[in-house]
Amino acid sequence: MSLATGTSRRRLRLGGLALLAAVALAAVLVVRFDVPLERIFTVGFLNRTLMLASPIALAAVGGLYAEKSGVFNIGLEGFMIFGAITAAATLSLVGASSQLHVWLAIVAAVGVSLALTAGYAVLLIRYKADQIVAGLAVWFIGLGFAPFLASLLWGTVRSPGLASMNRYSVPYLAEVPVVGSILFNQSPLVVLTLVVVVAAWVVLYRTRYGYWIQAAGENPTALDTAGIDVNRVRYATVLFSGAMAGLGGAVLLAHAGTFIGTGDTMVDGRGWIAIVAYLFGNYNPIGAALAALLFGGLEGLQVQFQTVDIAVSGRLMGLLPYVGVIVVLTVWGKTRMPSSVGEPYESEE
Amino acid sequence: MSDDPGRVRGALDRVAARLLDASVYERVGIAVGSTGLALLIGLVVVAAAGHNPLLFAQQLVVGSVGSTGAFTRTLRFTTLFILAGVAVAIAFRAGVFNIGVQGQLIVGGIACVLSILWLAPFVPNGTLGGVGLTLVGLLAAVVAGGLYAALPGVLKAYYGANEIITTIMLNFIAIGIVGWAVDGPLRPEDARSVRTEYLPEGVGLPSVVFSDPNFSILGLGLALGVVGVVAVGMTRTSFGYDMVTSGYQASAATFSGVDPQRTIVATMTLSGMVAGLVGAVFAIMVQGYFIDPSGIGTYGFDAIAVSLLAANNPVGVVPASLLFGALESSGSHVQIHSDVPVQLIDGIVGIVVLFVAAPELFRMLAKRTGLGGEKG
Repeated sequence: MSLATGTSRRRLRLGGLALLAAVALAAVLVVRFDVPLERIFTVGFLNRTLMLASPIALAAVGGLYAEKSGVFNIGLEGFMIFGAITAAATLSLVGASSQLHVWLAIVAAVGVSLALTAGYAVLLIRYKADQIVAGLAVWFIGLGFAPFLASLLWGTVRSPGLASMNRYSVPYLAEVPVVGSILFNQSPLVVLTLVVVVAAWVVLYRTRYGYWIQAAGENPTALDTAGIDVNRVRYATVLFSGAMAGLGGAVLLAHAGTFIGTGDTMVDGRGWIAIVAYLFGNYNPIGAALAALLFGGLEGLQVQFQTVDIAVSGRLMGLLPYVGVIVVLTVWGKTRMPSSVGEPYESEE
Repeated sequence: MSDDPGRVRGALDRVAARLLDASVYERVGIAVGSTGLALLIGLVVVAAAGHNPLLFAQQLVVGSVGSTGAFTRTLRFTTLFILAGVAVAIAFRAGVFNIGVQGQLIVGGIACVLSILWLAPFVPNGTLGGVGLTLVGLLAAVVAGGLYAALPGVLKAYYGANEIITTIMLNFIAIGIVGWAVDGPLRPEDARSVRTEYLPEGVGLPSVVFSDPNFSILGLGLALGVVGVVAVGMTRTSFGYDMVTSGYQASAATFSGVDPQRTIVATMTLSGMVAGLVGAVFAIMVQGYFIDPSGIGTYGFDAIAVSLLAANNPVGVVPASLLFGALESSGSHVQIHSDVPVQLIDGIVGIVVLFVAAPELFRMLAKRTGLGGEKG
């Protein structure tokens, strides 16, 4: 159709323009301010990017599973907030700060997110709630109850300093330049994220269950005819998405070590960015993780600019990921969502 | 977000169809049921947190209608919610999810304050100058809010960028940039807190009836006027008809010659114009200057609940706003007079939205409890 080709051509032109503009702007800035590039794109920056991208990648993998199966889980942001506050509350309540307790807090966060997602999934699938409005509601509930809980626990919406996840370090190997620091002196949660991403890819594209998930989103009737309970598959993926978002929130907290409940809380739109990450990654877990890296990198630039004394307001630099999201959404037109997303499925019998 | 704009639209079509099915009584029932149940859950949470739920319930009532002061405060918030709710309703009714009312009201509010501050030196003092500046401020807010909403409208209509996500991102961006400006270039030397200059003397809406300096019956009148205009515009003009039709039946609208892309942009712009007005009323009537927007009440988000409770009907927004105005007002009371953290009220609002999203739940409840014998 002419409309479609027109749109895609317009996108292409816009995409080219955006890329060109970004490169030109960067070049001008580099020359004009004599920016030491080698001091910006350091190994430390890469490490920080990996850490910043992990929560986004986890939530994105969860979200894309739900959407692949035909349920748009727009509540990722909310479940991330629940994950973060649960992990913080657990750490604060057990009062100990060993690495084991940090892991315990992460497990608790996943558990609570799972329980909350179960209720959400019933509303979506059994009671056919509107997926967009219900997802927004989860966000609002998180924005209300997380600071509420924080106030109950600590008297303010901000937690005191809690335990955080340490990097592991492999002796000798960690000394190897670049690779050593990235592989052998790393947060275990980054490694966990990597494992989840790869496993999610394998399950989705290389197992029978993965095909069921895809069929539940593309052609639920066929799946039903084949004797598979469509809604059961959807319950499983929605639960998984909530668990992954909760894990993402917990990872965010475990890296930060403090819960911040002011404004949009410490999650600060990462759940929404995760949705864009998997759209950008074309519903492929590995693609989604790469997109998460891009957004994590944009976020990490803020610190890099400060270390090389480029006087740009941190608050303005912090907006880069959001701008990036809008550009990506506008330019990237190739995503083709599963055809039955958003439609409740009712079996004939 | 995709080549297939049918997803969100399809979901909306179904919601709309469901809401069209629902009789007025059923809609009111769902709204009352959602709010009642959410409040009940809130009280359970209060009890679980170790506080007295009855005392809290009493404080909610006292804090919203217990005194003239409380009631005026309720009306003040009601005014903001009516405008913000109408802004959301315009978009939702036309099948466009504008979640960016918060950002648009921030942009509108700062545009209002800046235009007044810049023009003030050229305008004579006294009532006439004040009225003139106030009008200029309102106009600037409407224009700025409309433009800030037109952007995601264009991105959705012509590039398929999902407006839910772009508007949320634009909220973050508005808060960030305005927050930076208010703390930087716009902050006067002698300001102890993060804020702009104060608006000049004569600017404001006079308090005619109540003596609250932060509320004017004129503001409420303005809000109700907007409700009237939008309600009439939606039902009695061809543009309104096109807008609502494309919300309920996109294909039918296209078939009858409505340009869907232009309708999306126009809808977003209109919605943002009203959202900008919220910012202006907030700046002129309530605050008298502009602050760091991360500290401004989340009227733009709560307005989503308001609009949904009203089934996206601009007239229905008025009672829903009164309810939310009361809730917000009692929040101010609770914050001072209760140990229960005030954020609970935001949580309750979220639960209201969740219930509104699932009318089937109430239908099933009604079936089971009302008729008793039937088993689902």
